[in-house]
Amino acid sequence: MVFSNPEIWALTLSMAIPLALPAVGGTFSERTGVVNIAMEGIMLIGAFFGVAFSYWTGNAWVGLLAAIVCGALTALALAWGAIHVSADQTVLGMGINIFAAGLTTFLLNTLFGYSGTPVNTPKLPTLSIPGLDHIPYIGIVFQNQSVLVYIGIVLIFLSHWFLFSTRLGLRMRSVGENPLAADTLGIPVWRLRYLGVVLSGIFSAIGGAYLSIGILNGFTSNMTSGRGYIALAAMIFGKWTPLGSFGAALIFGFSTALGIVLQGHGVSSNLLQMIPYALTILALTGLIGRSTPPAADGIPYEPRR
Amino acid sequence: MRKKVWKTCLALVTVGALAAGCGTNNSSGTNTSNTGGTSNATSTSGKTIKVGLVTDTGGLNDNSFNHLAYVGMQEAKQQLPNIQTSVVQSQSESDYVPNLSHFAQDGYDLVIAVGYLMADAVQQVAKEYPKTHFLIIDDSITGIPNVASAIFQSQQAGYLAGVVAGMVQKNHLLKNINSHNTVGVVGGQEIPPVDTYIAGFQQGFHSVDPTGKVIVEYTNSFSDEAAGSQYAQNEIAQGADIIFPVAGGTGIGSIKAAQSAKVYAIGVDTDQSYLAPGTVITSAIKRVDTSVFDTIKAVQDGTFKSGVNNFDLSNNGVGIAPLMSGLPKSVTDAVNQAKQQILSGKVQVSTTVQK
Repeated sequence: MVFSNPEIWALTLSMAIPLALPAVGGTFSERTGVVNIAMEGIMLIGAFFGVAFSYWTGNAWVGLLAAIVCGALTALALAWGAIHVSADQTVLGMGINIFAAGLTTFLLNTLFGYSGTPVNTPKLPTLSIPGLDHIPYIGIVFQNQSVLVYIGIVLIFLSHWFLFSTRLGLRMRSVGENPLAADTLGIPVWRLRYLGVVLSGIFSAIGGAYLSIGILNGFTSNMTSGRGYIALAAMIFGKWTPLGSFGAALIFGFSTALGIVLQGHGVSSNLLQMIPYALTILALTGLIGRSTPPAADGIPYEPRR
Repeated sequence: MRKKVWKTCLALVTVGALAAGCGTNNSSGTNTSNTGGTSNATSTSGKTIKVGLVTDTGGLNDNSFNHLAYVGMQEAKQQLPNIQTSVVQSQSESDYVPNLSHFAQDGYDLVIAVGYLMADAVQQVAKEYPKTHFLIIDDSITGIPNVASAIFQSQQAGYLAGVVAGMVQKNHLLKNINSHNTVGVVGGQEIPPVDTYIAGFQQGFHSVDPTGKVIVEYTNSFSDEAAGSQYAQNEIAQGADIIFPVAGGTGIGSIKAAQSAKVYAIGVDTDQSYLAPGTVITSAIKRVDTSVFDTIKAVQDGTFKSGVNNFDLSNNGVGIAPLMSGLPKSVTDAVNQAKQQILSGKVQVSTTVQK
């Protein structure tokens, strides 16, 4: 049947990664107390500059690096507005999303013209793990996945460990829960918040680059198609933890994959496209229990000195 | 106090960024006003007209019909005197009405709406600006005196592409063609301009290979390249070795997926062989560029005709692009034969997708 076909699990994984990475990014930002809804925009920035630099330098890894740098810079702008100037974080995030959509389309047209990004743009390699591909079922799931899938999974586990098992992770969480208490203990609230937001930019940009130079080798306007917003849902669904976000992203990825596979069995495409969104609503209305954000999430902090 | 000043500045910057964002969306096209009329002094008949093009959400770089409409407009600008052009790309479906109104309000003579999805918006705006001419691609609006519509019998192009796919599939004319006798279609949305292609493709394919299988799936997007790639990969995993995307920008991802999997693809709307040489066997094309050029010329000459303009095989409004080199003559013969059968009325091409 449908579920015994390993193809659906391969699709699940490859559709989950571009949701999981920005969701983990968002987790970093919100855990330190800065609401971040700009993942969609930062993904677009990452996707575009990933392709652009991959083409200009002829090396997709340089493209990935450029995507990370540009994503971090965009996040830095968000961080400055949210932390230094205590501007409304939702408005800032939305501004970045709209700005990024316009900027990338504009740059695409001015730098590459209307025929789009060049077809000979290099992409990141795909990788089949040597030992795994001999295992009959799992082998196919991990066959020819982009190298970013593996990097992404490692990053997600590292993030979880970092956030919940290291001293710096604890400090980051403390400034998102009670910045005043953290401040009185001498923890640099602003600096840690900057770190959280910039990390979110880096993760989101890798997610964007995964779309543009991971599974493809080109950029189209708005190619993220709302994945940054679904990532936001995955972050909440995952209760602001990296592993939780990954789990949620896998569920969304699975419902997308299910949509793709079931269409071949004659189920209406319009119905199937609703699955991820219906799941989101179900998840947020209590299926997974209460999801409580960090206590100081979204509240600017003025250092008392 | 200092804080407050900062906040105000930031608010201004944010608003500015928002405006810039919108601004780019709306005018990222070439706003090149052509004053080349002086060099063209010989043709005095050409009065200056302003032409505005509104793309749908696929955008100008969809390598597909939005792009073709732009090509048609550029040709008109180069070949006809005194044509001024401007482009607006729609970022979302809610942009259609404001984008169309913007040109009409600015006194443009002709506003071109690319795509079926804009039909309602055109009906609404055209009534508000009766002095502006409108051209809509892919939808038949009748009964509004200032609206012309270009309808393409794309099922005929789909049929010919289907014949090519059937020939290649059945006779294993290219390497890596498996014995599953399966081809895959990646549609954008279940809307007439997409479904006509698909219906024709199915019929053409089955005319050659009645037992073959055509997988049809829809991504519900014209811009999500990643989804296009995933859908194609899924079809390839089911044994499809020729992929026919009818999905604008999304379809580029499908063609790239076919290329990576070393199978084949058939392009759509325009000759897309440049996207993946050696992968794209042919393309089902419709001459959106011709319809745009003709309408611009008609507006300039004062011969604009409202109602439906039909483009089909008989006036070369649809067809297929040159075949990939290395295919035997039998394919060309089969295509020509199918063409004759359609032209003579012996074959009626359906516009309904077989489920």
